[in-house]
Amino acid sequence: MAAESKLSLQNALLTLEQLQHTPSMQDGFTEQQEDDMRQMGCHLIQSAGILLKLPQVAMATAQILFQRFFYQASLRKFAVRDISMGSIFLAAKVEECPCRMRDLVNVVDYLCKTFKRLPTIEPLALYGHEFYEMKNAAVIAEMQILKKLGFNVHVQLPYGIMVNYLKVLNLTDHPTIPQRAWGYLNDGLRTNVYICYQPPTIACSVVWLAAREAGVPLPTNPPWWEVLDASLEDVENIAGHIKTLYYRSLPISTLPLRIEQVEPWLVSQGQ
Amino acid sequence: MDRYQCLEMIGEGTYAKVHKGKIRSNGEMVALKEIRLDSEEGAPSTAIREISLMKELRHPNIVRLHDVIHTPNKLTLVFEYMDQDLKKYMEQHGNRGALGPIVIKAFMYQLLKGVAFCHENRVLHRDLKPQNLLINRKGELKLGDFGLARAFGIPVNTFSNEVVTLWYRAPDVLLGSKTYSTSIDIWSAGCIMAEMYLGRPLFAGSNNHDELMKIFKVLGTPTEETWPGVSKLSEYRKDFPMHPPRNLSSVLGMVDSFGLDLLQHMLTYQPHLRITAKDALNHVYFNDIRGYANLQQQQILQQQQQQQAAAAAAAQMASVPPPFPGQQQAAQQASVAQASAAETTTAATTSVGSTGVSIATIHSQPMSSQAPSQQQQGLPYQVVQMQQPPQQPPHPGMQQQPMYSHHQVPQHH
Repeated sequence: MAAESKLSLQNALLTLEQLQHTPSMQDGFTEQQEDDMRQMGCHLIQSAGILLKLPQVAMATAQILFQRFFYQASLRKFAVRDISMGSIFLAAKVEECPCRMRDLVNVVDYLCKTFKRLPTIEPLALYGHEFYEMKNAAVIAEMQILKKLGFNVHVQLPYGIMVNYLKVLNLTDHPTIPQRAWGYLNDGLRTNVYICYQPPTIACSVVWLAAREAGVPLPTNPPWWEVLDASLEDVENIAGHIKTLYYRSLPISTLPLRIEQVEPWLVSQGQ
Repeated sequence: MDRYQCLEMIGEGTYAKVHKGKIRSNGEMVALKEIRLDSEEGAPSTAIREISLMKELRHPNIVRLHDVIHTPNKLTLVFEYMDQDLKKYMEQHGNRGALGPIVIKAFMYQLLKGVAFCHENRVLHRDLKPQNLLINRKGELKLGDFGLARAFGIPVNTFSNEVVTLWYRAPDVLLGSKTYSTSIDIWSAGCIMAEMYLGRPLFAGSNNHDELMKIFKVLGTPTEETWPGVSKLSEYRKDFPMHPPRNLSSVLGMVDSFGLDLLQHMLTYQPHLRITAKDALNHVYFNDIRGYANLQQQQILQQQQQQQAAAAAAAQMASVPPPFPGQQQAAQQASVAQASAAETTTAATTSVGSTGVSIATIHSQPMSSQAPSQQQQGLPYQVVQMQQPPQQPPHPGMQQQPMYSHHQVPQHH
């Protein structure tokens, strides 16, 4: 009967195989290089979203689409800058907060220049060659994402769930935990946890991590995460993944944003 | 694209042209919806929503999306072919647009089945209207045009209130609410039910304000007493003219008392008190259709035995056009009434049997949802936990269902 049907539109998760043999790694990237590129793309999306005044759900959706895309395609064939733009453009449509192409192109251009420590005083000429090139790249990237992901662009996010967990645990008024947990959700978008775990598990993990760092004990008899259907192993694993973000600073000015920068960069990296 | 032969145009939607088409290999009819891709705006958001949702929703009362063909400047969606929409059906088969009570009940049952399935899967249709309900010659009704649909549930956020064609728009949305949920589709379904009885739209307003006035004239102007919180909605005005609520039967005199009761529950002002699709399906109004379906199940067994013998006779009747549901229902009812005596009334019963599916038999089949498996459709990922695979497989039901109820909490605060 329909009542027993599985909920569709769940986030698709990766297999271990997909995770260990990404298209980019098969194309000569090391794990570290790929990680850096993904982090830069997500950083670009998050920063652009803030400048475009998009809601966080749109940025989160865009980053997850971006991450998913590069499990289907290689960083050698698709530029981080273009797929970032395509992801934002697409996520804004999916989340019903459309953003203007002109603003998107200008913001991404500005951010790319700051990443490269180039002067940012001059905005792009509105109908100039560069503007058109970027706009077309964004439209093409959007269609590439749709195709590679088989139009599977609905993303479930853990923000609402996390707020509920904070309520259940009476933590909503704590001075640091809610903000810190929310921050971990945002930063976690730069890791692969959103494509390896379902949103409720991720929500558990960030609350667990934030409460632990604030030194706030939570019920352990029975353990609260088990009540919320998460295993300690998953919770710790996600927390560990997110924490690794803070141990290494991203060499952002050297990473290639455009496709023609990729080969020279790989050569300079000794590949 | 070579797999399909494009035939005549059958409609022009908001953002697409629809052609009749044929699968070259087997001659099966399909509907080809062509969406032009804009070089400025990329893929239309309606198309993105329609494809991403409809490929997940497989149900007998939802139009099936077979295929998506991508060419450089257009997308072609391949849908199962349906003969016409409810609006045209009413024009052609209705008495000045009004349909008979048996047909209405059969259509409403199927409409609510489709809506219930969407809602179970956390999809809001948001644009239910007769033009978007498609009917085939078997008398099956299916929801189509998911261009405005969206997934809901997580996260809690506000949606656009520019949804649903005006005449079928819920009063809470008209009054500016952006936190609507499944109840929005139920209001539309109620309006459609009334329209099938009336032969014309129940609330045919010409703009937002006029639409509200049309509603208030029948259901009464809502107040803080009848709808707590209504005055906080952005479009609420203190100087709305006051109308007392009228009895629905004064507007819809032709509807029986059970039907009126169901309508009353679907056209309830307070969204959270509006009946759900699931509860509506269990409403006493549908008792006979459900009982009939059971009775019909026994009949099918008998018919199947008779069918082979009847096949020859049916072949001779091939020139008779396949009956539309009204006739079918009537014919079937007759056959049920005559029960075993029906053996001799060959004409009516065999034609029904051989054209296969009657409305009743559709319902008597289990509404298997064919839970969309992630592996199908060549989806990029599989639902598998990564790293240290758990001893037990992940239990999606357990994980998701409680989430949903927790998740509902803040919505009402």
